[in-house]
Amino acid sequence: MTLSEIADGKLAPRLGIKLDNISKRYGDNTVLDDVSLHVEPGTVTALIGPSGAGKSTFLRCINLLERPDSGTIQVDQHTIEPGKDVNSRDLAALRRTVGMVFQSFNLFPHMSALKNISFPQQKVLGRSKDEADERSMQLLERVGLKEKAHQHPGRCSGGQQQRIAIARALALDPSIMLFDEPTSALDPEVGLEVLAVMRELAADGMTMIVVTHEMQFARDVSDTLVVMADCRIIEQGDPRAIMSDPQEARTRRFLRAVLER
Amino acid sequence: MTWLTEWAGYLPQMMSGLSVSLLIAGVSIVAGYPLGLILSVMVSAKNLAVRTLALAVVEIGRGAPALVILYLFYYGLPKFGIAFESITAACLALIWNSAAYSSEIMRAGIQSVGRGQLEASNALGLAQRHTFFRVVLPQGLRSAIPGLMGVAIQMFQGTSLAYAIAVPELMKSAYNIGSQDFNYLQIFTLAGLCYAAISMPATWITVFFEKRLARHA
Repeated sequence: MTLSEIADGKLAPRLGIKLDNISKRYGDNTVLDDVSLHVEPGTVTALIGPSGAGKSTFLRCINLLERPDSGTIQVDQHTIEPGKDVNSRDLAALRRTVGMVFQSFNLFPHMSALKNISFPQQKVLGRSKDEADERSMQLLERVGLKEKAHQHPGRCSGGQQQRIAIARALALDPSIMLFDEPTSALDPEVGLEVLAVMRELAADGMTMIVVTHEMQFARDVSDTLVVMADCRIIEQGDPRAIMSDPQEARTRRFLRAVLER
Repeated sequence: MTWLTEWAGYLPQMMSGLSVSLLIAGVSIVAGYPLGLILSVMVSAKNLAVRTLALAVVEIGRGAPALVILYLFYYGLPKFGIAFESITAACLALIWNSAAYSSEIMRAGIQSVGRGQLEASNALGLAQRHTFFRVVLPQGLRSAIPGLMGVAIQMFQGTSLAYAIAVPELMKSAYNIGSQDFNYLQIFTLAGLCYAAISMPATWITVFFEKRLARHA
Protein backbone atom coordinates (compact mmCIF):
# COMPACT_ATOMS: atom_id res chain seq x y z
CA MET A 1 0.00 0.00 0.00
CA THR A 2 1.40 3.41 -0.87
CA LEU A 3 1.49 6.33 1.47
CA SER A 4 -1.23 8.19 -0.38
CA GLU A 5 -3.50 5.16 -0.48
CA ILE A 6 -3.21 5.11 3.26
CA ALA A 7 -3.49 8.85 3.35
CA ASP A 8 -6.79 8.75 1.54
CA GLY A 9 -8.31 5.72 3.09
CA LYS A 10 -11.57 7.63 2.72
CA LEU A 11 -10.37 8.81 -0.68
CA ALA A 12 -9.67 12.42 0.09
CA PRO A 13 -10.06 14.20 -3.24
CA ARG A 14 -6.94 15.63 -4.84
CA LEU A 15 -7.38 19.37 -4.63
CA GLY A 16 -5.44 22.40 -5.67
CA ILE A 17 -5.48 25.77 -3.99
CA LYS A 18 -5.63 29.33 -5.27
CA LEU A 19 -4.28 32.20 -3.25
CA ASP A 20 -4.84 35.65 -4.65
CA ASN A 21 -3.56 39.06 -3.59
CA ILE A 22 -2.55 38.00 -0.10
CA SER A 23 -1.20 40.92 1.95
CA LYS A 24 -0.10 40.97 5.55
CA ARG A 25 1.23 43.79 7.70
CA TYR A 26 2.33 43.99 11.30
CA GLY A 27 1.75 47.62 12.15
CA ASP A 28 3.75 49.59 9.59
CA ASN A 29 5.84 46.59 8.70
CA THR A 30 4.71 44.83 5.51
CA VAL A 31 5.48 41.11 5.50
CA LEU A 32 3.48 40.02 2.46
CA ASP A 33 2.82 42.39 -0.39
CA ASP A 34 0.05 41.24 -2.74
CA VAL A 35 1.22 37.64 -3.15
CA SER A 36 -0.69 35.30 -5.48
CA LEU A 37 -0.04 31.61 -6.03
CA HIS A 38 -2.06 28.94 -7.81
CA VAL A 39 -1.24 25.34 -7.02
CA GLU A 40 -2.57 22.57 -9.28
CA PRO A 41 -3.93 19.37 -7.74
CA GLY A 42 -1.29 16.71 -7.22
CA THR A 43 1.70 19.00 -7.69
CA VAL A 44 4.59 19.89 -5.43
CA THR A 45 5.47 23.54 -4.99
CA ALA A 46 8.75 24.47 -3.32
CA LEU A 47 9.03 27.92 -1.75
CA ILE A 48 12.59 29.16 -1.44
CA GLY A 49 14.22 32.48 -0.74
CA PRO A 50 16.29 34.39 1.77
CA SER A 51 15.14 34.50 5.37
CA GLY A 52 12.77 37.34 6.08
CA ALA A 53 11.30 37.02 2.60
CA GLY A 54 7.91 36.02 4.02
CA LYS A 55 7.92 32.35 2.98
CA SER A 56 6.81 30.95 6.33
CA THR A 57 4.30 33.73 6.90
CA PHE A 58 2.81 33.06 3.47
CA LEU A 59 2.57 29.33 4.20
CA ARG A 60 0.95 30.03 7.54
CA CYS A 61 -1.57 32.31 5.86
CA ILE A 62 -2.78 29.37 3.78
CA ASN A 63 -4.42 27.63 6.76
CA LEU A 64 -4.98 30.91 8.58
CA LEU A 65 -2.50 30.36 11.40
CA GLU A 66 -1.67 33.91 10.36
CA ARG A 67 -4.63 36.01 9.33
CA PRO A 68 -3.85 37.97 6.16
CA ASP A 69 -5.17 41.53 6.00
CA SER A 70 -6.55 41.02 2.53
CA GLY A 71 -6.76 38.55 -0.33
CA THR A 72 -8.72 35.39 -1.11
CA ILE A 73 -8.09 31.72 -0.55
CA GLN A 74 -9.90 29.25 -2.76
CA VAL A 75 -9.97 25.53 -2.06
CA ASP A 76 -12.46 23.15 -3.61
CA GLN A 77 -15.78 25.06 -3.63
CA HIS A 78 -14.82 27.26 -0.71
CA THR A 79 -13.69 30.84 -1.06
CA ILE A 80 -12.39 32.49 2.07
CA GLU A 81 -11.68 36.18 2.43
CA PRO A 82 -9.50 36.35 5.50
CA GLY A 83 -9.63 40.16 5.64
CA LYS A 84 -13.31 39.85 6.52
CA ASP A 85 -14.96 37.69 9.13
CA VAL A 86 -14.28 34.02 8.55
CA ASN A 87 -17.04 31.82 9.94
CA SER A 88 -16.00 28.83 11.97
CA ARG A 89 -17.48 26.35 9.48
CA ASP A 90 -15.27 27.64 6.67
CA LEU A 91 -12.26 27.69 8.95
CA ALA A 92 -12.90 24.11 10.07
CA ALA A 93 -13.37 23.00 6.46
CA LEU A 94 -10.14 24.71 5.42
CA ARG A 95 -8.14 23.12 8.20
CA ARG A 96 -9.62 19.71 7.48
CA THR A 97 -8.51 19.98 3.88
CA VAL A 98 -5.05 21.30 4.63
CA GLY A 99 -2.53 19.45 6.80
CA MET A 100 0.59 21.07 8.19
CA VAL A 101 4.04 19.99 9.32
CA PHE A 102 6.15 22.37 11.40
CA GLN A 103 9.87 23.01 11.68
CA SER A 104 9.74 22.24 15.41
CA PHE A 105 7.43 19.18 14.98
CA ASN A 106 5.04 20.38 17.72
CA LEU A 107 4.03 16.89 18.77
CA PHE A 108 2.06 16.73 22.01
CA PRO A 109 4.75 15.76 24.53
CA HIS A 110 2.34 14.26 27.06
CA MET A 111 0.90 11.74 24.58
CA SER A 112 2.45 8.63 23.06
CA ALA A 113 3.22 8.62 19.34
CA LEU A 114 0.09 6.55 18.75
CA LYS A 115 -2.07 8.90 20.82
CA ASN A 116 -0.63 11.92 19.02
CA ILE A 117 -1.94 10.48 15.75
CA SER A 118 -5.19 8.95 17.03
CA PHE A 119 -6.44 11.75 19.29
CA PRO A 120 -7.04 14.32 16.50
CA GLN A 121 -8.76 11.65 14.37
CA GLN A 122 -11.17 10.91 17.20
CA LYS A 123 -11.92 14.55 17.93
CA VAL A 124 -11.88 16.06 14.44
CA LEU A 125 -13.21 13.19 12.33
CA GLY A 126 -15.19 11.41 15.03
CA ARG A 127 -13.49 8.08 14.45
CA SER A 128 -13.74 5.47 17.19
CA LYS A 129 -10.61 4.75 19.17
CA ASP A 130 -10.15 1.40 17.43
CA GLU A 131 -10.58 2.86 13.94
CA ALA A 132 -8.22 5.69 14.76
CA ASP A 133 -5.59 3.42 16.30
CA GLU A 134 -5.72 1.05 13.36
CA ARG A 135 -5.17 3.92 10.96
CA SER A 136 -2.40 5.37 13.13
CA MET A 137 -0.58 2.04 13.18
CA GLN A 138 -0.79 1.80 9.37
CA LEU A 139 0.73 5.25 9.04
CA LEU A 140 3.38 4.61 11.68
CA GLU A 141 4.37 1.44 9.89
CA ARG A 142 4.53 3.31 6.62
CA VAL A 143 6.88 5.97 8.01
CA GLY A 144 8.94 3.17 9.55
CA LEU A 145 8.13 3.80 13.20
CA LYS A 146 5.70 1.08 14.21
CA GLU A 147 7.94 0.13 17.13
CA LYS A 148 7.75 3.69 18.47
CA ALA A 149 3.94 3.65 18.79
CA HIS A 150 3.91 3.59 22.57
CA GLN A 151 6.89 5.87 23.15
CA HIS A 152 6.47 9.51 24.04
CA PRO A 153 7.96 12.08 21.64
CA GLY A 154 10.70 12.91 24.14
CA ARG A 155 12.06 9.42 23.59
CA CYS A 156 12.25 9.81 19.82
CA SER A 157 14.95 11.47 17.73
CA GLY A 158 14.13 14.65 15.82
CA GLY A 159 13.79 12.76 12.56
CA GLN A 160 11.47 10.26 14.15
CA GLN A 161 9.39 13.02 15.72
CA GLN A 162 9.01 14.74 12.39
CA ARG A 163 7.89 11.50 10.72
CA ILE A 164 5.34 11.01 13.51
CA ALA A 165 4.17 14.59 12.92
CA ILE A 166 3.73 13.84 9.21
CA ALA A 167 1.73 10.72 10.08
CA ARG A 168 -0.41 12.80 12.46
CA ALA A 169 -1.26 15.27 9.70
CA LEU A 170 -1.90 12.52 7.11
CA ALA A 171 -4.24 10.68 9.46
CA LEU A 172 -6.86 13.41 8.96
CA ASP A 173 -7.01 12.75 5.20
CA PRO A 174 -5.83 16.16 4.02
CA SER A 175 -5.97 16.96 0.33
CA ILE A 176 -3.11 19.42 0.61
CA MET A 177 -0.02 19.28 2.82
CA LEU A 178 2.00 22.29 3.97
CA PHE A 179 5.57 21.81 5.15
CA ASP A 180 7.27 24.67 7.00
CA GLU A 181 11.02 23.99 6.80
CA PRO A 182 10.46 20.39 7.92
CA THR A 183 14.15 19.49 8.01
CA SER A 184 15.67 22.76 9.27
CA ALA A 185 15.79 21.63 12.89
CA LEU A 186 17.38 18.30 11.99
CA ASP A 187 20.90 17.02 11.43
CA PRO A 188 21.52 16.65 7.68
CA GLU A 189 21.61 12.86 7.89
CA VAL A 190 18.46 12.65 9.97
CA GLY A 191 16.75 15.06 7.61
CA LEU A 192 17.12 12.45 4.87
CA GLU A 193 14.62 10.14 6.62
CA VAL A 194 12.07 12.91 6.54
CA LEU A 195 12.83 13.88 2.95
CA ALA A 196 12.42 10.24 1.93
CA VAL A 197 8.90 10.18 3.37
CA MET A 198 8.11 13.46 1.61
CA ARG A 199 9.43 12.19 -1.71
CA GLU A 200 7.19 9.17 -1.40
CA LEU A 201 4.21 11.34 -0.58
CA ALA A 202 4.96 13.52 -3.62
CA ALA A 203 5.32 10.45 -5.85
CA ASP A 204 1.90 9.30 -4.67
CA GLY A 205 0.39 12.53 -5.93
CA MET A 206 -0.22 14.54 -2.77
CA THR A 207 -0.60 18.27 -3.35
CA MET A 208 2.27 19.78 -1.37
CA ILE A 209 3.60 23.25 -0.63
CA VAL A 210 7.05 23.12 0.96
CA VAL A 211 9.06 25.96 2.42
CA THR A 212 12.59 24.64 2.32
CA HIS A 213 16.29 25.28 2.17
CA GLU A 214 16.90 21.81 0.69
CA MET A 215 17.81 22.79 -2.86
CA GLN A 216 18.31 19.23 -4.02
CA PHE A 217 14.82 18.34 -2.88
CA ALA A 218 13.39 21.47 -4.47
CA ARG A 219 15.07 20.65 -7.78
CA ASP A 220 14.32 16.94 -7.91
CA VAL A 221 10.89 16.69 -6.35
CA SER A 222 9.02 19.92 -6.94
CA ASP A 223 6.97 20.67 -10.04
CA THR A 224 7.02 24.40 -9.43
CA LEU A 225 9.74 26.43 -7.80
CA VAL A 226 8.66 29.71 -6.24
CA VAL A 227 11.30 32.23 -5.23
CA MET A 228 10.28 34.80 -2.64
CA ALA A 229 12.22 37.87 -1.61
CA ASP A 230 11.25 41.14 0.03
CA CYS A 231 7.67 40.15 0.85
CA ARG A 232 6.74 39.04 -2.68
CA ILE A 233 7.15 36.29 -5.23
CA ILE A 234 9.92 37.37 -7.59
CA GLU A 235 10.12 34.35 -9.83
CA GLN A 236 8.32 31.06 -10.35
CA GLY A 237 8.37 28.19 -12.79
CA ASP A 238 10.19 24.97 -13.63
CA PRO A 239 12.75 24.32 -10.88
CA ARG A 240 15.53 23.14 -13.17
CA ALA A 241 15.08 26.10 -15.51
CA ILE A 242 15.16 28.62 -12.67
CA MET A 243 18.13 27.01 -10.99
CA SER A 244 20.20 26.86 -14.12
CA ASP A 245 19.08 30.15 -15.60
CA PRO A 246 17.44 32.52 -13.12
CA GLN A 247 15.82 35.58 -14.68
CA GLU A 248 16.06 37.88 -11.70
CA ALA A 249 19.28 39.25 -10.27
CA ARG A 250 17.95 38.71 -6.74
CA THR A 251 17.27 35.02 -7.52
CA ARG A 252 20.76 34.67 -8.99
CA ARG A 253 22.32 36.12 -5.88
CA PHE A 254 20.31 33.87 -3.58
CA LEU A 255 20.98 30.72 -5.60
CA ARG A 256 24.67 31.47 -5.74
CA ALA A 257 24.70 31.77 -1.98
CA VAL A 258 22.95 28.46 -1.36
CA LEU A 259 24.29 26.36 -4.26
CA GLU A 260 27.92 27.44 -4.37
CA ARG A 261 28.86 27.24 -0.76
CA MET B 1 15.06 11.99 79.06
CA THR B 2 12.36 13.81 80.97
CA TRP B 3 11.37 15.69 77.79
CA LEU B 4 10.81 12.45 75.95
CA THR B 5 8.63 10.96 78.68
CA GLU B 6 6.65 14.19 78.90
CA TRP B 7 6.22 14.25 75.13
CA ALA B 8 5.02 10.67 75.20
CA GLY B 9 2.32 11.72 77.64
CA TYR B 10 1.26 14.69 75.45
CA LEU B 11 1.21 12.77 72.20
CA PRO B 12 -2.38 11.43 72.19
CA GLN B 13 -3.84 14.91 72.60
CA MET B 14 -1.34 16.33 70.11
CA MET B 15 -2.27 13.67 67.57
CA SER B 16 -5.93 14.60 67.72
CA GLY B 17 -4.91 18.23 67.16
CA LEU B 18 -2.68 17.20 64.27
CA SER B 19 -5.51 15.26 62.67
CA VAL B 20 -7.72 18.36 62.78
CA SER B 21 -4.90 20.41 61.22
CA LEU B 22 -4.47 17.83 58.47
CA LEU B 23 -8.23 17.78 57.89
CA ILE B 24 -8.37 21.56 57.45
CA ALA B 25 -5.34 21.53 55.17
CA GLY B 26 -6.81 18.66 53.14
CA VAL B 27 -10.16 20.40 52.70
CA SER B 28 -8.55 23.70 51.74
CA ILE B 29 -6.43 21.96 49.09
CA VAL B 30 -9.06 19.58 47.71
CA ALA B 31 -11.62 22.38 47.40
CA GLY B 32 -9.20 25.25 46.82
CA TYR B 33 -7.24 23.88 43.85
CA PRO B 34 -10.24 23.21 41.59
CA LEU B 35 -11.50 26.70 42.45
CA GLY B 36 -8.03 28.01 41.70
CA LEU B 37 -8.14 26.35 38.29
CA ILE B 38 -11.50 27.96 37.53
CA LEU B 39 -10.17 31.35 38.69
CA SER B 40 -7.03 30.97 36.57
CA VAL B 41 -9.20 30.48 33.49
CA MET B 42 -11.57 33.31 34.45
CA VAL B 43 -8.67 35.71 34.95
CA SER B 44 -7.77 35.35 31.26
CA ALA B 45 -11.39 35.46 30.06
CA LYS B 46 -12.41 37.85 27.29
CA ASN B 47 -15.43 39.09 29.25
CA LEU B 48 -14.42 42.11 31.33
CA ALA B 49 -16.91 41.45 34.16
CA VAL B 50 -15.75 37.84 34.55
CA ARG B 51 -12.12 38.91 34.46
CA THR B 52 -12.61 41.68 37.02
CA LEU B 53 -14.52 39.44 39.41
CA ALA B 54 -11.88 36.71 39.23
CA LEU B 55 -9.07 39.20 39.62
CA ALA B 56 -10.72 40.68 42.73
CA VAL B 57 -11.14 37.23 44.30
CA VAL B 58 -7.52 36.33 43.56
CA GLU B 59 -6.01 39.61 44.66
CA ILE B 60 -7.97 39.76 47.92
CA GLY B 61 -7.08 36.14 48.64
CA ARG B 62 -3.40 36.85 48.09
CA GLY B 63 -3.28 40.39 49.34
CA ALA B 64 -5.07 40.07 52.68
CA PRO B 65 -3.43 38.04 55.44
CA ALA B 66 -5.21 34.73 55.92
CA LEU B 67 -5.93 35.71 59.51
CA VAL B 68 -7.91 38.74 58.38
CA ILE B 69 -10.07 36.61 56.10
CA LEU B 70 -10.44 34.08 58.88
CA TYR B 71 -11.72 36.75 61.27
CA LEU B 72 -14.03 38.19 58.64
CA PHE B 73 -15.64 34.79 58.10
CA TYR B 74 -15.89 33.98 61.79
CA TYR B 75 -16.58 37.32 63.46
CA GLY B 76 -17.68 39.48 60.53
CA LEU B 77 -20.28 37.44 58.65
CA PRO B 78 -22.61 36.85 61.64
CA LYS B 79 -23.49 40.52 61.22
CA PHE B 80 -25.30 39.46 58.01
CA GLY B 81 -26.88 36.53 59.81
CA ILE B 82 -24.34 34.06 58.43
CA ALA B 83 -22.68 32.19 61.25
CA PHE B 84 -20.24 29.33 60.85
CA GLU B 85 -18.76 26.88 63.26
CA SER B 86 -15.16 27.79 63.91
CA ILE B 87 -13.79 24.86 61.91
CA THR B 88 -16.05 25.68 58.94
CA ALA B 89 -14.94 29.31 59.00
CA ALA B 90 -11.31 28.17 59.11
CA CYS B 91 -11.82 25.87 56.13
CA LEU B 92 -13.59 28.54 54.07
CA ALA B 93 -10.91 31.14 54.74
CA LEU B 94 -8.11 28.76 53.85
CA ILE B 95 -9.97 27.54 50.75
CA TRP B 96 -10.04 31.14 49.55
CA ASN B 97 -6.35 31.48 50.36
CA SER B 98 -5.34 28.29 48.56
CA ALA B 99 -7.60 29.03 45.58
CA ALA B 100 -6.01 32.47 45.18
CA TYR B 101 -2.41 31.26 45.40
CA SER B 102 -2.91 28.12 43.34
CA SER B 103 -4.72 30.03 40.59
CA GLU B 104 -1.67 32.20 39.96
CA ILE B 105 0.60 29.14 39.81
CA MET B 106 -1.75 27.36 37.42
CA ARG B 107 -2.10 30.45 35.26
CA ALA B 108 1.67 30.69 34.96
CA GLY B 109 1.83 26.97 34.09
CA ILE B 110 -0.84 27.30 31.43
CA GLN B 111 0.87 30.33 29.92
CA SER B 112 4.18 28.48 29.80
CA VAL B 113 2.81 25.99 27.26
CA GLY B 114 4.53 26.76 23.96
CA ARG B 115 2.84 28.58 21.10
CA GLY B 116 3.74 25.69 18.83
CA GLN B 117 1.34 23.45 20.74
CA LEU B 118 -1.56 25.82 20.04
CA GLU B 119 -0.55 26.16 16.41
CA ALA B 120 -0.40 22.40 15.97
CA SER B 121 -3.84 22.04 17.56
CA ASN B 122 -5.26 24.78 15.38
CA ALA B 123 -3.70 23.38 12.23
CA LEU B 124 -5.16 19.96 13.04
CA GLY B 125 -8.57 21.61 13.37
CA LEU B 126 -9.09 20.64 17.00
CA ALA B 127 -11.93 22.50 18.71
CA GLN B 128 -11.03 25.13 21.33
CA ARG B 129 -12.20 22.98 24.21
CA HIS B 130 -10.18 19.97 23.09
CA THR B 131 -7.16 22.18 22.61
CA PHE B 132 -7.53 23.58 26.10
CA PHE B 133 -8.48 20.50 28.09
CA ARG B 134 -6.44 17.89 26.27
CA VAL B 135 -3.40 19.75 24.98
CA VAL B 136 -2.75 22.91 27.01
CA LEU B 137 -4.08 22.04 30.45
CA PRO B 138 -2.27 18.71 30.99
CA GLN B 139 1.05 20.30 30.07
CA GLY B 140 0.41 23.49 32.03
CA LEU B 141 -0.65 21.67 35.19
CA ARG B 142 2.34 19.39 34.94
CA SER B 143 4.72 22.28 35.13
CA ALA B 144 2.64 23.74 37.97
CA ILE B 145 2.96 20.63 40.17
CA PRO B 146 6.03 21.71 42.20
CA GLY B 147 4.52 25.14 42.89
CA LEU B 148 1.20 23.58 43.89
CA MET B 149 2.94 21.22 46.28
CA GLY B 150 4.67 24.23 47.81
CA VAL B 151 1.32 25.93 48.35
CA ALA B 152 0.00 22.72 49.93
CA ILE B 153 2.79 22.84 52.53
CA GLN B 154 2.08 26.51 53.10
CA MET B 155 -1.61 25.69 53.61
CA PHE B 156 -0.77 23.02 56.18
CA GLN B 157 1.31 25.48 58.16
CA GLY B 158 -1.40 28.10 57.69
CA THR B 159 -3.87 25.91 59.57
CA SER B 160 -2.16 27.09 62.77
CA LEU B 161 -4.02 30.38 62.26
CA ALA B 162 -7.25 28.56 63.06
CA TYR B 163 -5.99 28.58 66.64
CA ALA B 164 -7.08 32.20 66.75
CA ILE B 165 -10.74 31.21 66.47
CA ALA B 166 -10.44 28.29 68.89
CA VAL B 167 -10.43 25.44 66.39
CA PRO B 168 -9.04 22.40 68.26
CA GLU B 169 -6.10 21.99 65.88
CA LEU B 170 -2.46 21.29 66.69
CA MET B 171 -1.57 24.73 68.10
CA LYS B 172 -4.71 24.80 70.21
CA SER B 173 -3.92 21.36 71.63
CA ALA B 174 -0.40 22.49 72.42
CA TYR B 175 -1.61 25.64 74.12
CA ASN B 176 -4.14 23.74 76.21
CA ILE B 177 -1.53 21.28 77.40
CA GLY B 178 0.92 24.07 78.08
CA SER B 179 -1.52 26.06 80.18
CA GLN B 180 -2.11 23.04 82.43
CA ASP B 181 1.43 22.66 83.77
CA PHE B 182 3.26 25.60 82.16
CA ASN B 183 5.73 23.41 80.20
CA TYR B 184 5.49 25.78 77.27
CA LEU B 185 9.01 25.19 76.06
CA GLN B 186 8.55 21.43 75.79
CA ILE B 187 5.08 21.53 74.33
CA PHE B 188 5.72 24.16 71.66
CA THR B 189 8.95 22.41 70.68
CA LEU B 190 6.87 19.27 70.22
CA ALA B 191 4.30 21.23 68.21
CA GLY B 192 7.07 22.57 65.96
CA LEU B 193 8.39 19.06 65.46
CA CYS B 194 4.91 17.83 64.52
CA TYR B 195 4.61 20.52 61.83
CA ALA B 196 8.12 19.76 60.62
CA ALA B 197 7.43 16.02 60.57
CA ILE B 198 4.79 16.63 57.90
CA SER B 199 6.29 19.64 56.09
CA MET B 200 9.84 18.39 55.64
CA PRO B 201 9.05 15.07 53.93
CA ALA B 202 6.53 16.96 51.81
CA THR B 203 9.30 19.35 50.76
CA TRP B 204 11.56 16.43 49.86
CA ILE B 205 8.78 14.94 47.73
CA THR B 206 8.38 18.33 46.02
CA VAL B 207 12.08 18.49 45.23
CA PHE B 208 11.95 14.93 43.91
CA PHE B 209 9.07 15.88 41.61
CA GLU B 210 10.87 19.02 40.45
CA LYS B 211 13.87 16.94 39.45
CA ARG B 212 11.75 14.34 37.72
CA LEU B 213 9.84 16.97 35.74
CA ALA B 214 13.07 18.73 34.80
CA ARG B 215 14.38 15.46 33.43
CA HIS B 216 11.36 14.89 31.20
CA ALA B 217 11.10 18.49 30.05
